[in-house]
Amino acid sequence: MAILAWVTMGIAIWHFAIYVPDRYWGGIVGSFVFAAFFSVLFGFALTGFTIPPQDDVTLLTALEGIPGALIGLGLSYFIGVRKGNVAVHV
Amino acid sequence: MTNRRRNLFILLFIAGLIAASAFVVATKPTKLGLDLKGGTSLVFQAKPTKQSQVTADSVERTIEIMRDRIDKFGVAEPEIQRTGTDQIDVSLPGVENADQARNQVGKTAQMYFYDYEPNVLGPGCKPDPTNQSVTGGPSAGNGTGALSQYDAVRRASTCKPTNTGKETTRGAYYLVNTKTEKVLAGPAETRADLTAEVEASKDKTVAEGPDTEVVKIPQGTVVVAAEGSGGNPAGRYYVLKDQPALGGLDIKNPEQNFDSGPGGTGAPNVTFDFTDKGKKAWQETTREIAQRGQENFFGGSANNAFQHFAIVLDDEIISAPYIDFQQNPDGIDAANGSEISGGFTIKSAQNLANLLKTGALPIRLELISSSQVSATLGKQALDQGLIAGIAGLILVSLFLLLFYRVLGVVAVGALAVYSLFMFAMIKLIPITMTLPGIAGLILTIGVAADANIVIFERVKEEVRAGRSIPVAISQGYKKGLTAIVDANVVTFMVAFILFILATAGVKGFAFTLGIGVIVSFLTAVLLTQAVLGALGRTRVMGHPSALGAQSTRQRFRWDYMGRSKTFFALSGLILAIGALAIGNKGLNLGIDFTSGSRVVAELNQSATESEIRDTLTPLGLRKAKIQRISGAEFRSNEAFQISTETLEPAERGQVEQALNKEFGGGTYSFQTIGPTFGNTVAKGAIIAIIASLIVISSYIALRFEWKFAVPVLIAVVHDLLITAGVYALFGFEVTTATVAALLTILGYSLYDTIIVFDRVRENIPRMPRAAFSQILNRSMSEVLMRSLATSFSTLLPILALLFFGGETLKDFAFALAIGVLSGTYSSIFIATPVLMHWKEAEPVWRKRRARVALANAGEVPAYVTAAGGAATEVDIDEAKKPRRRLTAPDDPNMTVGREEFQELVGDLGLEDEAKQAPTATAEPDEPEPGSGADLRPEDLVMKDEPKTPKPKRARNRRHGR
Repeated sequence: MAILAWVTMGIAIWHFAIYVPDRYWGGIVGSFVFAAFFSVLFGFALTGFTIPPQDDVTLLTALEGIPGALIGLGLSYFIGVRKGNVAVHV
Repeated sequence: MTNRRRNLFILLFIAGLIAASAFVVATKPTKLGLDLKGGTSLVFQAKPTKQSQVTADSVERTIEIMRDRIDKFGVAEPEIQRTGTDQIDVSLPGVENADQARNQVGKTAQMYFYDYEPNVLGPGCKPDPTNQSVTGGPSAGNGTGALSQYDAVRRASTCKPTNTGKETTRGAYYLVNTKTEKVLAGPAETRADLTAEVEASKDKTVAEGPDTEVVKIPQGTVVVAAEGSGGNPAGRYYVLKDQPALGGLDIKNPEQNFDSGPGGTGAPNVTFDFTDKGKKAWQETTREIAQRGQENFFGGSANNAFQHFAIVLDDEIISAPYIDFQQNPDGIDAANGSEISGGFTIKSAQNLANLLKTGALPIRLELISSSQVSATLGKQALDQGLIAGIAGLILVSLFLLLFYRVLGVVAVGALAVYSLFMFAMIKLIPITMTLPGIAGLILTIGVAADANIVIFERVKEEVRAGRSIPVAISQGYKKGLTAIVDANVVTFMVAFILFILATAGVKGFAFTLGIGVIVSFLTAVLLTQAVLGALGRTRVMGHPSALGAQSTRQRFRWDYMGRSKTFFALSGLILAIGALAIGNKGLNLGIDFTSGSRVVAELNQSATESEIRDTLTPLGLRKAKIQRISGAEFRSNEAFQISTETLEPAERGQVEQALNKEFGGGTYSFQTIGPTFGNTVAKGAIIAIIASLIVISSYIALRFEWKFAVPVLIAVVHDLLITAGVYALFGFEVTTATVAALLTILGYSLYDTIIVFDRVRENIPRMPRAAFSQILNRSMSEVLMRSLATSFSTLLPILALLFFGGETLKDFAFALAIGVLSGTYSSIFIATPVLMHWKEAEPVWRKRRARVALANAGEVPAYVTAAGGAATEVDIDEAKKPRRRLTAPDDPNMTVGREEFQELVGDLGLEDEAKQAPTATAEPDEPEPGSGADLRPEDLVMKDEPKTPKPKRARNRRHGR
């Protein structure tokens, strides 16, 4: 359940990445993958790389997906800039 | 074949099918599932025994034996099928006692005959045939001299293993509490089986701890219950040397009879004959027993000297008759067979005879799920399903008639034919109709209508473009077919994956959905095309108003792509709320996933949840989840769903008894799901979703291009997560039906996206000067009505399910409704903008966008605008026509000549670029400022673009003349 909460929150955050000029590595799809992956990874890291039992999933668990998603998006953007991606203004 | 002949042929063919279908519908019965007519459903998991491993063959043999048993019990139309590698689903219509059914069908029925006295083991694991405190003497087998189960297990564990080849087990494992001296679990064949049994137990005292110990009984020794002690831990047990004289395979023709011989009691008994091998073994064994009795007789009553044999069925002594050495000094002649008597009722004697008749199961079966539906509830559910189906059909028909006029009449006719064909298929195959199956059928009504909508909208477009009605019909079918084929293939693939991986209940849904997709293609495309082809030149279709296309519709031109940010933000917010709901409340997983028992009780007297809880508390069910449920399938408003930990059959009886006593009786249905089954369901669901995503994205990548597949996947993930969020938010129970709904959503979401992407694919080569966002906006404005109409037509039958489908289908329909709405939304506002962002980043589209912006004062208009009347579109049909070669290339190394290239450029409306790019080999990646040469001619062709027809060669007329 925790993984579902993290990934849902990560993808929710990704939806707002569209407001930033698209210089993400792999474009909008790359940012999606980074946001989803890092939200789960960060959640795991917070719980000591264990899946919390269903009874331990709380509102906070969902919020734990936010920093991971932001880190993922930031990393994707940073790599994109380093690789010389030029923003597409759509 | 001319079109007219082709249409006539199709119409005659369909007319023939209609007649055949009507015959089938009139003559064949409909096979109803348990949920519609009441009965018991059992799911067993196969476990190995010493004699047999779980293989495909042993499972098949088990199924055969089970079928034999069920036939003998007189159950009509039972269904037994293998699921996965080691599970067996048994459906028993009309059987309302799950416990009895389980005993009749799933009992292993391993029967052995032991020479009793020399095989009963006393202290030190030594036989002591003459010690009555070990054997029980004249009361052999009935508990005299026997031990508690704990002591028996302890004694047996000290015995030495043997390997004579006659042993019936490889040994057994027990979990015992050394403090209370009780056996907590076992016997289990392996240590792992014992652990699984302990974990599955709802009794909290059954757990490994400091006071517990796992005890292993070696091969060669068995602990058997004394007569009447079976399954009772407080009963008495004997330790036997596992050296049976005969087995169940050595007897034949077992029958229930009566003890009617001289001095007979007239009580029911079971008589049987022996096989040739059995006869010999029986004669020898009884002779030995008789001789031993003779040897032990030292005068007085002979009864005290009589020796016994024990008949052991599934680790319980069911009878221990003696051999009268005075009457049978040479043993009992096996020619006349033998009998088992004592303590039988007619029914129990019949059951044993039947079990012996069908033989022992080669493998051990563990019940992992059982459900029982009362016939009344089943009938009510069937009525509700039928009402929902009829309501769905009427709603869709009304929509088609209002929206498409004459075309609508044709479509409604096609729907009626579709319904008839489906009904005939269901009876002919035959498909067992279950509640999810009816839901699948109702949903396919919407899918069948979708195909018509896609084509009709296309026909209307062609009419509005000024084409004659016959040409518009022909073009509409031609152009709409690709999208329909793609969408139907995707839906069919989802149904197929669901059918392969889902549990039995959902299989019915998947099957009807899959068959429905095929049949709908026949009726919604072939039939309607033939009918319209025949009507196209008649007065009925003489005016565009007959098609609902009387005026040139002003397309709703909206900057879909420009506003995508707003909709992205909206989706983000919805998902964030969903994530918080999942975190806060979690998904309400039903017993299909968590294991346990569910009782649906319709009580005769009014009750409240707390009153029911008070009634159940003395039974240890204080924590049961009790909720009032409503639905037209219930006669009163006093229907409740009670979810508890796993209830044993006896406990189910207690629940029923307690509620009857308190609330004046009622109707009950029970369902019990074991943890193994829950895991299987959860695993199957995840595999099904992943497999669907992989297969479908591969198909889309193949049919479109791989960059089209990724936005589709993102949109699908979006829909699934939104549905999960809504479920968490409202606390709806997630069941196996929900998984089916999720997979259907997955398929449906793709259907909608495919319609949009199909138009994008068509428009890309048409608009060689447009930015990608302009192509998408144009495509969206063209297919919006189609997309909304197909969603609406699918939503109508779902709404019918929601309002008329009863309690069971309500949650399923709700998930579908959310999914369809979300699918439509995500096709327009998620998949398409993601595609735009991704494609616009490609160099070729980036340059084209820059050029459009440059020509429009730095802004890219939402739609392509023609400057100075210049053409903005290319007529691809015209462009594709084969043409003669104008000149030979100037340079032999070039593929086309200058003039030829100029003509091609002119055709594509790229005259300006022609001045800048004198040859076809000009590098398009680095265009001159203001140049439109951003695409090479081959870039304008999508993967599935038909190849340019080869110029016809002059036919060699010398052949065959």
